[in-house]
Amino acid sequence: MSPVELEADRYWPFAVVCLVQLLLLLRLLLRERITLQGSISYLGFLGLFLLAALFPEATGRIARAMGFKVLSNFLFCLAIMALALLHLRALVTLSRIEARSVHLTQDLALLEERLDQALDRELTRG
Amino acid sequence: MQRLLIVIPALNEQEALRALIDEVLRVRAELPCACEVVVVDDGSTDSTVGVAEKSGVRVVRLCRNLGIGGAVQTGLRLAYREGFDYAVQVDGDGQHPPSEIARLLDRLRVLPPPDMVVGSRRLELRGYQSTPARRLGQLWLRVWLYLVCRLRVTDPTSGFRLYGPKALALFQQTYAYDFPEPESLAVACAGGLRVVEQSVEMRQRQGGRSSIAGLTSVYYMIKVTLAVALAYLRNGKRSRTLQPAAIPCA
Repeated sequence: MSPVELEADRYWPFAVVCLVQLLLLLRLLLRERITLQGSISYLGFLGLFLLAALFPEATGRIARAMGFKVLSNFLFCLAIMALALLHLRALVTLSRIEARSVHLTQDLALLEERLDQALDRELTRG
Repeated sequence: MQRLLIVIPALNEQEALRALIDEVLRVRAELPCACEVVVVDDGSTDSTVGVAEKSGVRVVRLCRNLGIGGAVQTGLRLAYREGFDYAVQVDGDGQHPPSEIARLLDRLRVLPPPDMVVGSRRLELRGYQSTPARRLGQLWLRVWLYLVCRLRVTDPTSGFRLYGPKALALFQQTYAYDFPEPESLAVACAGGLRVVEQSVEMRQRQGGRSSIAGLTSVYYMIKVTLAVALAYLRNGKRSRTLQPAAIPCA
């Protein structure tokens, strides 16, 4: 028996899940609910998992080369790493947007105050 | 004549604000500079804005709550943009007696003039001294600031501060949004600002509620401890490319 237990026929549901997610992502992209720029890494990882599920023998060889005894462990590790990377990417984007949002809020408040002052001056003059 | 902006950050401070603004307006006439007063409303849900507007001072309304740091930075940005020479932060809860602003301004006469004067209630132990638990937290922050930045301060959490032109230029760019006081000292030190303390008297808050209580105080200590180290490293690197090396602080 191979050190990595290959049960190729059991991986097709995994491929279906990846495919459904890919289609969902494409739908969101077409409806412009998400941007391509932000979802390209997600698409990349989904594509990678889809390939892993469609070609389990090749995936098994890679897993064996990396020292995994059970293929599912390799896939779990891969999924956790992918999610961690995607989360980190989202965190960077979110932090940047938060900082920008704070500055915009401040700018808006300062502009409103200037506008109020200008209007008051106009009213006094008028 | 030099111009001073008195910045009052306020979040749901309707109880304390009216008396505080009246006090500030009385004190303003006695200060040796041209003063303007601005209340920065940090998204209050009570009548803070109404109270401030009725008092006739300038009011900047933030459309959402940014935290005390975001509100203070708004005031500092206003001071910087409009060419004020100095800005002083007076908290909207009434803890900082406006009569002590003159003492902060006096400290500017020391040569070379400091870039930032921090009002300290611990130098002469005058007035309200806060709870023992908070003093323990302050002690840790004093030690930590010394270890990280070689900065000696007695009251690292004091928000009663006078900012000079260099401090305004620095803080209008970078200022922590929540629990900003100790972190901003690290930023100032890394940015090469000369920071000094001046003994002041403080009072108990005159209304409203503190944002640091219960579990938040644990989060506060962890967050501020990390933030001080990160701010010093981050801004030290930035200032090495933009400004001369950090000046040891008094």
